[in-house]
Parts: sequence; C-alpha cells; structure tokens
Amino acid sequence: MNELMAARSLTTRPVVTLGGDAVAHVKDTVCDAAAGSVTGFTLTGRGLLSGSLREGLPWRAVYALGHDAVMIRDRRGLVDAAALTTHRHSLRARLLGAEVVTEAGTEIGTVLDVVVEGGTGGRVVGFRVAASRRFLPGPTRHRRRVYVPRGGTLTVTGRSLVLPEDAVRYVADDLPGLTALVAGVPGRGRGALP
Amino acid sequence: MLFTEVRGLPVLAADGGGPLGTVTSLTVDVVSGAVSHVRFRDGALGRVGLSGRVGLSGRIGRSGRERAVPWDAVDTVAAGAVRLRAAAPCEGAPRAHHDLLDHRVLLDTGTGHGTVLDVAFDTRTARLLALFTTRGEVPAGRLRGLGDYALVVRAG
Repeated sequence: MNELMAARSLTTRPVVTLGGDAVAHVKDTVCDAAAGSVTGFTLTGRGLLSGSLREGLPWRAVYALGHDAVMIRDRRGLVDAAALTTHRHSLRARLLGAEVVTEAGTEIGTVLDVVVEGGTGGRVVGFRVAASRRFLPGPTRHRRRVYVPRGGTLTVTGRSLVLPEDAVRYVADDLPGLTALVAGVPGRGRGALP
Repeated sequence: MLFTEVRGLPVLAADGGGPLGTVTSLTVDVVSGAVSHVRFRDGALGRVGLSGRVGLSGRIGRSGRERAVPWDAVDTVAAGAVRLRAAAPCEGAPRAHHDLLDHRVLLDTGTGHGTVLDVAFDTRTARLLALFTTRGEVPAGRLRGLGDYALVVRAG
C-alpha cells in the first residue's frame, strides 16, 4: 500500500512538474461529496507573500502524490479553482469538524483530519477523529485522538459522516496503525486500547 | 570524470594563449543525458592561470562575467585543463541553467531523494554515466527533468 498522509499535512507541499519546476504550493485538499476520494487541490503561489492562486489542481492532472511533493506532468493541467470547488468539499469548508456517527447512531467523535493514500489513487482511507467519551471511555480529561478507517460504505448527511458499525470495530492510534488496519490486519479492538 | 573535478579547471583557447577563465559548472541536457555547455567565469584570478582546483574554483571568479561554450566547442577535457577548439563560440549571456551539484533530487513519485553530490560523465562523448546523491547512486538513464526546484528521476 502507498504511504498514508493526513490531508492537513499536504498544505504547503510543493506542486512540481516532471520537468523539475515548482509551480505552486497546496493550500487545501478538495474531496468528492462522498468523502471517498480527493478530487483536487486549491493552490497558493510560491512566494512568501503570494496569496491564493486562481488556478486549482484537479486530481486527473496529478502524476503522483508523494511524501515531499505533488508531482504533475506540466502546468497545463491546472484549471480554474472555482470550477474545482463547485459542489465539492474542501477540507476546511465541510469535512473538518463534521460529526462521525455509526449507522446505529453511536456517536464516534468529530473529524480533525482526513487521511488519504499517496501515489496515484487519491483514495480517502480514513479520518483522524477526536473521539467522544462514550465511544472511547477513559480516565483522561482530554478527548482521545484516534484514526478511524473509512470503510467500504459511508454516507454524508449534512455535516455528519455515517459509518457502518464494522468500520469502527477497530481504531488506530497513529498512521502506521491505520495503514495496518486498512491493509487488513485486524489490530486491536477499541476496548482493548489503553 | 566527475563534475567536481572539472569545476575549477582553467579553460584554454586553441591558440595556446592564457586561460580564458575557470570552469564554474556544466550545463546538462536531461533529455539527451549529456553535458550541453561548459560555463566558465573570466575572473581576475582566472586570467592569471590559477586553476583553483582545491575547492576555490567556483568562487575565485565571482566578480567576472560568466560565459558558456557548447560542448561541441570543447576539444579535450583532461586532468589539467579544458581546451577549446579554434573559434569556439562563447555565449555572453548564459542560457537558463540549473547547476546539478547540490540540487535537490525528487523521485517522480514525489518522494525526496537527497541532493546531488557529484556526477560522473564521459569526457569524450559528454554522456552522463551516473549521479551520486546523498541517498545513493542514480543511473543516468533515470533522469526525467531538471528545473528550478529539483532534479526529477524515475523511481526504480
């Protein structure tokens, strides 16, 4: 499996052509309505004081999403940023802070970040969630941060993400743990977590 | 020969006169995988023949004007000097150029691969043989692009 990345960590990642020229930095990640895949990125200019670009980067123009750069063939793949965000969910606008619940109505928590798979797929594989106390009871005063796999089916209802019960049977404490979970390693049940 | 060995060599004209300057860098055409130009600077110390091969080379002539000659105009590159052919056309205004040495390296998967430490090339054909980076050797056949941000190479 390709490296998993928190979408917020993509902000400021350079967008580089295969010719070696940096054309922009990632400003925000845009997901489709089902929060199933990345549809593109909004961009900022390269200079310290440069603001948002009017151009956006659609996922179809991405050659590879890597640990250190978003690779594109050339800058001809950039499109009007307004077209990119129409009817789609930028992280900041829609997904961050959304409630996560199960189909049975169990409250899981709120979305802190979206985890995407690097490489060429652009798949959303999970969420970093501030878990509710009912979902993960414990002695700590602070809400636990856990990684929850997206699962095969997910419904977006307003500001809520509805996951199947199976998706939250296991959770992970970090990205390597989520990588193992998504790859099919059962991991630990949430009740067994410290 | 290595790029770091060529950097700092005196550039000699075909007529046997004094040095025209010292080599500052080599321009690479990643499409053909070969050195396309030799860049040199005619700084004051370069004119009196100090080759600067002890690491001073690139900095000796900073005050001078940088020029470039196409590889076709180079007669020989030996241990002691770069000798040009007769009537070598020196370009006063250097073309867009990105020095490979110390340049950032990115795999085309978007993963960093360190920076370029040195480059080996064939002095007869100008073809690159291998790149040595802080993360290991990269075959010259894997180069994809060289821009202002990075040298892009094929992953595996």
